[in-house]
Amino acid sequence: MPIVLEKLTYTYQNGSINAFTALNDIDLTINDGEFVGLIGHTGSGKSTLIQHLNGLMQPTSGKVYVDGIDMSDKKVRKLGRQRIGMAFQYPDYQLFAETVAKDIAFGPKNMGLTDEEVDRRVREAMRIVGLNETVFADKSPFELSGGEKRRAALAGIIAMYPKYLVLDEPMAGLDPSGRRGVLETIERFREELNSTVIMVSHSMDDVAKSAERVIVLQDGRIYRDGAPADVFCDAEELNRLGLDAPFAARLAAELRRRGCNVPSDIYTNEALACFIEHLVKGEV
Amino acid sequence: MLSVKDVSYSYEDSQRKALDGVSLDVADGEFVCIVGHNGSGKSTLAKMLNALLLPTSGTVSVNGLETHDEDSVLAIRQQVGMVFQNPDNQIVTTVVREDVAFGPENLGVPTEEMAERVDRALRAVGMERYASSAPHMLSGGQKQRVAIAGMLAMEPSILVLDEATAMLDPIGRRDVLGIVRRLHDESGITVVMITQYMEEAIGADRVVVMNDGKIAMTGAPAEIFRRGDELREIGLDVPLAVELREELAKKGVCDCGDALTLEDMADKLCPLFLKN
Amino acid sequence: MLNDITLGQYFPVDSVVHRLDPRTKLVLLIMYIVAVFLVKELWVFPIVIACMLIFTVLSRVPLSYVLKAVKPMRWLLPIMFIINLFMIHTGTILFEWKFLKITTGGIEQAFFIVLRLVTLVTGTSLLTLTTTPISLTEGMESMMSPLKVVRFPAHEIAMMMTIALRFIPTLLEEADKIMKAQLARGADLESGNIFKRAKAMIPILIPLFVNSFRRADDLALAMESRCYHGGEGRTRLRVLRFAWRDLWAVLVMSALIAAIVLIQRFVSFAPLHAWFLGLLV
Repeated sequence: MPIVLEKLTYTYQNGSINAFTALNDIDLTINDGEFVGLIGHTGSGKSTLIQHLNGLMQPTSGKVYVDGIDMSDKKVRKLGRQRIGMAFQYPDYQLFAETVAKDIAFGPKNMGLTDEEVDRRVREAMRIVGLNETVFADKSPFELSGGEKRRAALAGIIAMYPKYLVLDEPMAGLDPSGRRGVLETIERFREELNSTVIMVSHSMDDVAKSAERVIVLQDGRIYRDGAPADVFCDAEELNRLGLDAPFAARLAAELRRRGCNVPSDIYTNEALACFIEHLVKGEV
Repeated sequence: MLSVKDVSYSYEDSQRKALDGVSLDVADGEFVCIVGHNGSGKSTLAKMLNALLLPTSGTVSVNGLETHDEDSVLAIRQQVGMVFQNPDNQIVTTVVREDVAFGPENLGVPTEEMAERVDRALRAVGMERYASSAPHMLSGGQKQRVAIAGMLAMEPSILVLDEATAMLDPIGRRDVLGIVRRLHDESGITVVMITQYMEEAIGADRVVVMNDGKIAMTGAPAEIFRRGDELREIGLDVPLAVELREELAKKGVCDCGDALTLEDMADKLCPLFLKN
Repeated sequence: MLNDITLGQYFPVDSVVHRLDPRTKLVLLIMYIVAVFLVKELWVFPIVIACMLIFTVLSRVPLSYVLKAVKPMRWLLPIMFIINLFMIHTGTILFEWKFLKITTGGIEQAFFIVLRLVTLVTGTSLLTLTTTPISLTEGMESMMSPLKVVRFPAHEIAMMMTIALRFIPTLLEEADKIMKAQLARGADLESGNIFKRAKAMIPILIPLFVNSFRRADDLALAMESRCYHGGEGRTRLRVLRFAWRDLWAVLVMSALIAAIVLIQRFVSFAPLHAWFLGLLV
């Protein structure tokens, strides 16, 4: 069962002179097992959209269904919310307990699981995010480095075994090794729990590395929705929206502009390198 | 002229040396980029440059003034403008214009001159339209531009940016970098930029790589990014153009030399396509 | 979006009253409060109200906004009215039932108390409607600065107020984000008794405090690096200067006080009382 958004519209300060429509008539279905990259510049409605997925915000009009659960129904909202793990941009908004293990246990405990089950999940989540249990379990979350904090916060979400994992800018502000660590975590999580991942990011290159489907939001509407190759092929258009296409896609576009014959479905460095290899070896 | 001589530093609550025998000279008008992973000591080094931290051993001097000398501290801070990572935590007052004036006010600049300085600084970062806005209504990139204006209004000769783009979106980052670049090119201000984004180091005159409180490498961007494997070993990365160039070299397809940017790569690859 | 909360209740239009020096406005408010307390006679209140209305009209703030200030007292006012109505036993008895007694004095006193509260609150509200919090802070700093001689930290207090004003919106926004992050982890903030709810706030309060301390550290560094070293030797971008209109405003307010004092001393209110009594009986 998927996540379904029907004619979702959200207006801030509805009815006042400052009214601002952040989401405008969005129809969207996110299927089980997908890895979706949600992109758009600041103010395009990304954050507003993901907060509707778990009922933190309620639509001005339209409906949100998570596995058929109507998220506007207060009685069942909690059930829907448990299926959606939401990792916000800054781990500092989330970490609060005395130890990392206790912090990770917060979500599962709220779900009313038994102590043994909570314990098991905490250990499992720490393994998935790559935080060594003996080192980190009893450490204060406030002593961790930026990358470790991010992973501890992610573990707190993962321990809830969400069917859908929503990540808001999971790599922002991290150094290169921290970024790699988080990306690996997401991929491991997806493999092991078979979940759907929705990743919000400014970084097209990060999205290009892992997403199977890319949705571009622009002024509260869905501007593009499709396979990465289809979305990234128009590097100039994305540029105009204030979004950088992935580096390889931009380079490919530049080469095409200079009269070179590069296919438009190339958007990663690996694919571009492979293509050039074949080209040089005369296989194209 | 900025001169760091054999500086070591440990934080009170830590055994480890955050800086360990660091020496670095930055010439007037130079654009230096300091890169390193989290905890490599780069931010500690930045705070040394305007006497926010004093070395445990070694000396830091700015245009001949030593940071150890208490009487020079204000003069040094006026000379070295600092922009920090979190745009929210460096704006002091509730109106943009008044915030930009905060530094000059502390320096005791006469009121008549102050208004002129503030306006000039806001124009230099393209924020004059927001002079009477409330800071919390601005975007991250705009806040950082206001923070830069706040520094410019003190008329410093050196601008230090301590991961000033880390919390910004791509547009904000591009704006801030563009402004810093322009200030450097047009008014010859010395820039020391601390960053985790390798792409930002491409345009620097010199890249300094920090690791475990020491300077691991230093050199022109082209030289530094030839050493991709070493960079990855210490938790860093290379710009995407370099990554592609390495990939192609590994496959034995072509040698793209020291290409660092998209344009460089296009220049190298285009003939290859047209030949085949 | 918490982004557009406005602090205080400043009403952004340009008017003579808005342009008055904040120090003048603070002095005016003090004079006004004195005037209100000088009123001993119910029948003098119309003069105070007239003065209030003149300033309101000049400020171009709609009267409804000024009167909004009374809203928080919508329970207090009737209670005060009723207490005074039944507790004051002077003048002619109009109504008596068991221990309840209403007198003409009681009625006058009840109206008197209500009017005093309303005029006080609306006057103060007119100040905050026409003055931004930051210029109020500036005004207070400037007025308190003579006290520096006795080591009163006028500059420091003003600086703290400025920083508080600057960070309240930021912290509100942050609190909202933290709350959402914990709700997303299944935190239950709405059910249970008061103890349970207080306990449920811990996951929100701790990150809020930890982040605030970090902000404070960051801000201290940023201020230091911008050469902040206390109030000594500081100049200001905006210097407060008195204009002629400030003098006029103070004169008007002085006239009000003088009028109240003179009228109460030389005018006899006996005919009015008699008329009032006739009206009621």
